[in-house]
Amino acid sequence: MIVQMLSEVEEAVAEIRAAFPQHEVRATPAADGGAEVTVEAVGLGERYEPRTSFVGFRVHSSYPFSQVYPHFLRADLRKVDGSPLPSPGMTPNQWRGQAAIMVSRSSNGWNPNADTAVGKLHKVLEWVRFDA
Amino acid sequence: MSWSVAIAERDYELLRGHLFPGDGDEHGAVLACGLSETGRGTRLLVREVFPAEDGKDFVAGQRGYKQFAPLFVAEKSDYCRDNRLAYVTAHNHGGRDRVGFSEDDLRSHERGYPALVQMTGKPVTALVFAERAVAGDVFVGSGRDELASVTVLGPTIRMLRPEPTGSCAPTEDAYDRQALMFGHGGQAILGGLKVAIVGLGGGGSLINQMLARLGVGHILAVDPDEVEVSNLSRILGATRRDALGVLPNVGLPLLRQLAKRTARSKVAVAERVALEANPKVRFEAVRGDVTDPDMSARLLDCDFVFLATDTIQSRHLFNQVVHQYLIPGAQIGAKVPVDKGGAVGDVRVVVRPVVPDSGCLWCGGAISPAQLNREDLKPEECERQRYVEAPNVHEPSVITLNALGASQAANDFLFMFTGMHEPNTRLRGRFQWARRRDWEDIGDKPDPLCRHCGRGPKSAYARGDGVRLPTRAG
Repeated sequence: MIVQMLSEVEEAVAEIRAAFPQHEVRATPAADGGAEVTVEAVGLGERYEPRTSFVGFRVHSSYPFSQVYPHFLRADLRKVDGSPLPSPGMTPNQWRGQAAIMVSRSSNGWNPNADTAVGKLHKVLEWVRFDA
Repeated sequence: MSWSVAIAERDYELLRGHLFPGDGDEHGAVLACGLSETGRGTRLLVREVFPAEDGKDFVAGQRGYKQFAPLFVAEKSDYCRDNRLAYVTAHNHGGRDRVGFSEDDLRSHERGYPALVQMTGKPVTALVFAERAVAGDVFVGSGRDELASVTVLGPTIRMLRPEPTGSCAPTEDAYDRQALMFGHGGQAILGGLKVAIVGLGGGGSLINQMLARLGVGHILAVDPDEVEVSNLSRILGATRRDALGVLPNVGLPLLRQLAKRTARSKVAVAERVALEANPKVRFEAVRGDVTDPDMSARLLDCDFVFLATDTIQSRHLFNQVVHQYLIPGAQIGAKVPVDKGGAVGDVRVVVRPVVPDSGCLWCGGAISPAQLNREDLKPEECERQRYVEAPNVHEPSVITLNALGASQAANDFLFMFTGMHEPNTRLRGRFQWARRRDWEDIGDKPDPLCRHCGRGPKSAYARGDGVRLPTRAG
């Protein structure tokens, strides 16, 4: 079976590539027409060790009507000051069959006419960098 | 090939107001239309109405009385080509209940329309209106056809034709009493309808019974599930044998499992119930999930769709079908909140008529993007992400609550098609807070940018076969 992304999903991936030109962005088409997207080596700031992580997330076939949630970071991420990662915002889980930290930032007010996968990615990163 | 036009009431009123301002003169407009092609014919779906300004866009004719100005034709046909829409002109003649094209009109179509067909890559159509009639001349690549009707979709669904249809045959005895309310003509309308019911659980099974007894001619029932014992309190006509299969009294769990494989599907039970009520009904029992492409395609030649399911994905699909294909519908449901201690909260029944002009489920907040995302997850992901609303978790459900919603929705449907709604009736959705016996109208706040009911460039509104439906990949 040929697996292909839907045009709305392709558009979302293109916007992510454009917003992260220095990063490798991998998008694996899913059987439902969505995609599993991984943005490599994204900076998380000095509060974390390691300071960078991949960010993984699924853009579902129902995008942009469905929100993009959750996001995943590398499993060995920890706070430099030794404090625990906030729970339930950042909890152990899996991404593409591997251990990962799941970042739970649900957008209850998601608006399919205004919100985008890349916009959500920026919001999640801002929360991880400054508020988590 | 049968041709027809579907137009939302708001657009029709805009068009009618422009064509019949009360001056007795001729006026013109262009309609940009999506297309829907099914086994029942091709429908032109009005997406936009462009009134032609008198003296500038609609001017004195060189051969006939009036004509569209060449620049206006060029602009609007380019617009249709660029947006993959069909170009339709509309103008008016005098008269009330009968209308037809003049010889000048027909010759003008022959001169200009074949080139417009080539240019836009779509059929090109002319409509001529009288106050309560319309005729149409359709040009396609291979020839020319007459338009059968224009359907105006609002709280009352009106069908305009070139002239009044003949009187209807007397109604069968079985329908005598109801025909006393809406007449033989109303009964004939019901007999000519194809109506879909998506979800044949508590609510859907009641609607099925009502449609069959009303004399609806063709029912399409879609549901993936078989009857379970826990459904017997709600599904009309379902028996223990339907739920348990050929060996209903077997005690051994393994044998019971095997016997259950012979349980009857909900749509098969619905078929039995409908045929008992009306042996003449044409019934299509389709076992499947409406979000599968093959299933959703079956809705597209229906005149009305009832949605009585639990999932947000089916709600999303239904809402897009209504707006993309201009097929009116109604969604029903009931919610019985129960907290962890077992206390019952505010019990709610909902009925939402959804027509192209009003009731959009997205604009009304009835589709949760978060829930839509959750329903996209695989079961193991659901488990890992610790969602409590996992599949197979049964929520409270009671037949009396189902009946409140089903009855209102079926009555709305009946009154829409038989013209029983009073003028200016608004088709608002309603909540019934059952424990307080309160009814509450659901406000309608359409978002112009909505991708379903809005008219922005990303909206699916009236695009018909031009855009894909939100189905699961096949």
